[in-house]
Amino acid sequence: MVSKKHLNQTVAFWLFRAMSLFVVLTLVAILYFIVSRGISAINWDFITKGPEQGMVKGGIFPAIVGTLCLIVGSLIFAFPIGVSSAIYMHEYMKEGRLKSFLQLMTNNLAGVPSIVFGLFGMALFVNKMKFGDSILAGSLTLGLLALPVIIRTTEEALKAVDNSFRLASFAMGASKLYTIKKIVLPIAMPDIITGLILSIGRVSGETAPILFTVAAYFLPRLPHSWYDQVMALPYHLYVLATSGTNIEEARPVAFGTALVLILIVLITNLFANGIRAYYNNKYKK
Amino acid sequence: MAPHLKLQALVIILLASISVAAQNIKLKGSDTILPIAQEEASVYNKRGKATVSVTGGGSGVGLAALVDNTTDIAAASRKIKMEEKLKIKQAGKKVVEAVIGKDALAVIVNPANRVDRLTREQLEGIYTGIIKNWKQVGGDDMNIVVYGRESSSGTFEFFKEYVNNRKNFAATVLAMQATGAIVQSVAQTKGAVGYIGLAYENARVRQLLISYDGKTYIAPTKANAKNGTYPIVRPLYAYYTADNEGKVKPFVDFIQSGEGQAIVSKVGYIPLN
Amino acid sequence: MLGYWAYNVQPLFKNKSVKKVFEVFQVGVLATSSFITSITVLLIIFFLFKEGVNTFRKSLLEDGYVLSVSKSNPVSEISPLDIKDIFDQKITNWKQVGGNDDSIQLFSVDDLPKYYTEAQIGTELEYIGTCLNNYVATHPRALAYFPQKKHLENFAGKLIKVGSVGVYEFIKGKEWLPTAKPVAQLGILPLLLGTLWVSLGAILLALPFGLATAIFMAEIAHPTARKVLRPVIELLAGIPSVVYGFFGLIVIVPFVQSVFRLDVGETALSGSIILAIMALPTIISIAEDAIRNVPKNMREASLAMGATQWQTIQKVVMPYARSGIMTAVVLGIGRAVGETMAVLMVTGNAANMPHTFLQPVRTIPATIAAELGEASNGGLHYSALFALGCILFLLTMALNLYVQLRLKKAYK
Repeated sequence: MVSKKHLNQTVAFWLFRAMSLFVVLTLVAILYFIVSRGISAINWDFITKGPEQGMVKGGIFPAIVGTLCLIVGSLIFAFPIGVSSAIYMHEYMKEGRLKSFLQLMTNNLAGVPSIVFGLFGMALFVNKMKFGDSILAGSLTLGLLALPVIIRTTEEALKAVDNSFRLASFAMGASKLYTIKKIVLPIAMPDIITGLILSIGRVSGETAPILFTVAAYFLPRLPHSWYDQVMALPYHLYVLATSGTNIEEARPVAFGTALVLILIVLITNLFANGIRAYYNNKYKK
Repeated sequence: MAPHLKLQALVIILLASISVAAQNIKLKGSDTILPIAQEEASVYNKRGKATVSVTGGGSGVGLAALVDNTTDIAAASRKIKMEEKLKIKQAGKKVVEAVIGKDALAVIVNPANRVDRLTREQLEGIYTGIIKNWKQVGGDDMNIVVYGRESSSGTFEFFKEYVNNRKNFAATVLAMQATGAIVQSVAQTKGAVGYIGLAYENARVRQLLISYDGKTYIAPTKANAKNGTYPIVRPLYAYYTADNEGKVKPFVDFIQSGEGQAIVSKVGYIPLN
Repeated sequence: MLGYWAYNVQPLFKNKSVKKVFEVFQVGVLATSSFITSITVLLIIFFLFKEGVNTFRKSLLEDGYVLSVSKSNPVSEISPLDIKDIFDQKITNWKQVGGNDDSIQLFSVDDLPKYYTEAQIGTELEYIGTCLNNYVATHPRALAYFPQKKHLENFAGKLIKVGSVGVYEFIKGKEWLPTAKPVAQLGILPLLLGTLWVSLGAILLALPFGLATAIFMAEIAHPTARKVLRPVIELLAGIPSVVYGFFGLIVIVPFVQSVFRLDVGETALSGSIILAIMALPTIISIAEDAIRNVPKNMREASLAMGATQWQTIQKVVMPYARSGIMTAVVLGIGRAVGETMAVLMVTGNAANMPHTFLQPVRTIPATIAAELGEASNGGLHYSALFALGCILFLLTMALNLYVQLRLKKAYK
């Protein structure tokens, strides 16, 4: 006979299973919804041609280029600073007020809403520093947004490096900086790169920070310099979903754009997980 | 060493690009005007005299950019504001205004709605929240769902001034980010009413006849807007500064020319003459 | 780039003391970069507040315009809300704003041709000042609204003072009409409440599912199931908010409309549903960590006493992990409060006071995103949007600090 408490457990556990399944199904539903309708829009022309006929036909090439520019621009800026920052905080600083203050600020920056980054980027880079709406202003804004992510993943990576490596290097007379450069960083690199790839996913999908710093509604011309505006995938999707003279006709392009965005996230996630898995296995063996 | 090379390459690209970007007219502003500007630009670009790049953001963004000297033309669906004019003046420049076309605003409802005509007073009642049910204006017993544009858009301000008798909209009016979204929502919502530019007309929504005198109801057609019988028509503007005239004026002249106005008409707006 | 250079140019220096100096320099570069995040936070505070504060300094009257009455009119000050009601023609008598018992006659500069001929105004509007002067002097019941320019020397009328909005009125005000003419209405209560309603609704929806999934992953699931769930949650976290908004617009909005038989589907509930999905990854991963951190011996003690696994979860694991779960909830709220694009696309954005979840609402981030593009740079509306940004920043900052203090305590 099954006692009451075991019956309770069975019911509760099945409920949890069902609810977890529901979470999975939500993702599946969203993915299916976008993929099933977007897949027919995607072809070679779609990713290599510019928008035509009021953006209901043609492709999204300028938006893809724009998003690539923003990814590269923001990470050129955020990656070295983020990694340096994490190295200093983890390898050099002693526990204490200053360190916890810096960590607090980094966490605070991570919690700042993306639209506030947009406001800030507009006030500082676009207006104060006179960059105008430009790749430069947008990249800096997005870079600041990606900074806490990179710092955090780099710190985790450094933490994971066994202290015996450092001690062995010191024992052989190597300096701290030398140890970090030649021993710690190479070991931590796969995890740091994973963080970098994940932040690509984050940067490529953000809309609010680029609304007022770089995004162009319609700009078939490819960017010529840092000071040009560009179209960007997330903003382009927003435009296709809400404006334009014929939203219904623009739906296929909108679904296609959404699919490309999701694919970027999917691929970066897979890639990051792949690197993680590969190096984990390598080091464990 | 790779990052080093990248940096050098970037600097070279940067320097090279400055010389390439010289003969480029930047147009920025109202989302309403974008469809026109887009078409005009792509025809004009083919002439090879200069390239025109078109970016949106809104009338305010365009005019702010004109003040900051980051655009050559500001496209606006409303008249320049006093404060904006003063700012350009403070920068020691003179602003030039050109009308490049006209836009008629149509009032649309869901096709399932029985109501086919409204007076201006009734519209005012609906948008100020006094009239709440379609039966008050001769329709079925159904709540009115009122759609409008964001309070900062030129379209909003024009509608407020010409239809709402300058009265503020009720807080319950749903504010959509773009005209396209209004069409979409009205097509989905049985009790909906909204206002759109004529270029956005669509078989999935029905346009209402409008009367300003309470007797004659006029349909929002291009012909009626052109001959002046349809009352809700607004001009669309291009603003630039006088010191930049040499660079910008040929393009503005092109828009105002017969060929340019044919494009205006083709895109769904009202040409000047 | 500097950091890279610092790392690799070192071999150029052969001399030992130079090398030493160079090493100090490199460490200095590292140290400097570690302050960038703090500097950014401070800069954000500085720029947001610098611009936001202007909201409370600028007159609510449209820049470059004046409101005036005849000198014989006893009224010299009208509250912004009353001015709006006068121009909406809800107030029509001077008595209601402290004047004589007489009807109010509204006048704007566009009405000038009704009273004066073109010859009187001048073809280049050169006599406009004279006409305005004449009009104000001869119309004692008028409330005139016109651009000031220079024709106010020897002005025949009396200017109405319009102050700026106070912090208290800003937060308590129920009308958000930042472009209202002649006087803007800057009351953010509907926006603030809209933001809170949508976020709290999202948490209420997300919490049961988030907790259930976290418990499942930490306590029940087979490692294989966990291996499936982890990337699912990472993906949910990775999908861009604008894609969620698009999904919400096409699927959730019509769904809510038809299920609840509403006039309109763009409601607070639609926003909450989308935000709930977006907050799930945060809640799940933090709650799972909290549950995992419950010491093994506590669990085993409970099981050894004959409790079932479920009883152990209920009576031992959950109470122990409570603080961590609270953290998850607060961070989830933080994520929801700041979310912009998805909410902008599905909540209808009507700036009215929320009464139910089934009505359109307007949130603070959506307001900033929708209006900043059209606000003229440096004007009152622009400042007011920065003030909204300040409030949003403070709100999320407070939630963040709460979480971090709490984590620190738990750590100790």
